[in-house]
Amino acid sequence: MKRILLKWVFIFSFYHVAVLPVAAQELGQTLDSLEVRPSLVNSRLSLPTQLTQVHVISPGEYFAPPLVADIPDDRFGDMVRMGRNIFIKTGVYAKRYAGNGLNCSSCHLQEGRKPHGIPLWAAYGRYPMYRHKTRTVVTLEERIQDCFIYSMNGIAPTLDAPEMKALVTYTKWLSKGAPVGVDLPGRGLPNISRTQDLDPKRGKIVYETRCELCHGKDGKGQKHTNGEGYMFPPLWGRDSYNKGSGLQRVRTLAKFIKGNMPLGASFSLTNQESLDVAIYIWLQDRPRNPKMSQAMDFFFPNMAR
Amino acid sequence: MRLSDNIKCSLVSWITKISIWKFFLLLLAVSFVIFLVQSVLPVFSDSHDLHRLAGEELALNGRGKIPSCVSCHGLQGQGDAKIASPRLAGLHPSYIKKQLEDYARDPLKTRAFVEPIARDYVKTPRTYGDLTVFTPGTRYDPKMNGLAKLLSAEDRHNLAIYYSKLAFVASPKAYDFETLERGEDLALRGKPEYGLPSCDSCHGPGGQGFGAIFPPLAGQPVTYIIAQINKWQAGKRDNDHLALMRNIADQLTDGDKVNVAAYYDNLSYSVNSE
Repeated sequence: MKRILLKWVFIFSFYHVAVLPVAAQELGQTLDSLEVRPSLVNSRLSLPTQLTQVHVISPGEYFAPPLVADIPDDRFGDMVRMGRNIFIKTGVYAKRYAGNGLNCSSCHLQEGRKPHGIPLWAAYGRYPMYRHKTRTVVTLEERIQDCFIYSMNGIAPTLDAPEMKALVTYTKWLSKGAPVGVDLPGRGLPNISRTQDLDPKRGKIVYETRCELCHGKDGKGQKHTNGEGYMFPPLWGRDSYNKGSGLQRVRTLAKFIKGNMPLGASFSLTNQESLDVAIYIWLQDRPRNPKMSQAMDFFFPNMAR
Repeated sequence: MRLSDNIKCSLVSWITKISIWKFFLLLLAVSFVIFLVQSVLPVFSDSHDLHRLAGEELALNGRGKIPSCVSCHGLQGQGDAKIASPRLAGLHPSYIKKQLEDYARDPLKTRAFVEPIARDYVKTPRTYGDLTVFTPGTRYDPKMNGLAKLLSAEDRHNLAIYYSKLAFVASPKAYDFETLERGEDLALRGKPEYGLPSCDSCHGPGGQGFGAIFPPLAGQPVTYIIAQINKWQAGKRDNDHLALMRNIADQLTDGDKVNVAAYYDNLSYSVNSE
């Protein structure tokens, strides 16, 4: 309760009054995301030590999942293909359960394969596990249900739904050869240190120089040219994840940004930059938390979240 | 009674005073006038078409020292694989304009910098040399650099409009199965174990391009795609947004370039054609 109160105080005192209108002018920067500026583009130059910081990956450092071309041509393989379709086009193949414009692969990057991008192959061997959010031991299926409720802002598929079976099958196939019960390197998100010095003003500038190019000026993402689904996923607004999801936690979002964004330049933002832009995104409007607003669901059952 | 109420009353009384037929007649007349103006306006100011025609004239015939574009880029703007000249037909006008501007920009006037610290090339399959000179916002090409400097801003705009309107239909070519399979894997999934994103995640599904910033890969000559990645690795082309493509080109091996270019050459693709 205290946390929620603090949050609203924060929102009203900073967001509406002071932060957004004056953030750019105060720092005296004219913002043009299309302009090429080496000082902002190059992480090396923005580091205080002027040292090169390159995320170097050795061959064999991370687990390599099997190739899509190697999916077997049998009933099991059909289920894997269905799971992969659901995973990369959730709004099409699991339409009845999806509530927004995201796909599974919007967060689990590169079809759930990218290390430090919440890979599926690292998660499969860890479930069932104790989860602090629910304070129970959850199975992989229950975890996927939570994904649909919060991150997909939709309805949880039942445990015997074909979509659920397909997703679990795809996860199992993707983690072929991965050890069980071991924390594999590249699991989940990279760890970053805590800091108290978060500033959405700086975050706005980071957003406008690094993120806006793809996710759009208003953070609503960009749709495909044929109008179906999102090419670049929305970060806030009606079609984004809701307030109960994991990425609504600032530090989790900062970890995700640090490890994966911008595409192809992982670990190029500093910890401070990723935390700043995470709190800027956290301040924006998005669908409400379904578990914290059951009264709304009771009195207005048809109202969109 | 306040002034605002007075005004409201007078408005209401005026509407009730005139008959309902007169009111409808008035609406009809107003809408007819708007319709007339809208239909007549484009005749007087069809600037888009004028730009296109001017661009066509320049592209086909050249002007003064400027040679015609069609000698290298083809009569339909389809490009030429033999000399690694790109397709221009159907590209986004802003993209064409930006490339011409970057060709014309003087590399000495940008803030060029040398990468001073050698990276550990043994660990990752990176291919470009140490001490690469980067010149942000410029694009090097022996032919186009001199040529683009002769063009005025209006010429660039005209050419961009002309080429973006041209139709293009790709003719898919056959490659061996293994090349295509590897190319597809790279194009759709990238190399996640090395942190390399897929091509389609920015260049659009099927490499058809996305918006003004991400150009299409489908329908471009194979030689052109390979030559451009080589230029990025060598620091000769450094005009991408947020250094996105430079980071990615660093990680591509020679085999990757061939495979992925072959994959996109194998796709069917058309633009501006019915």
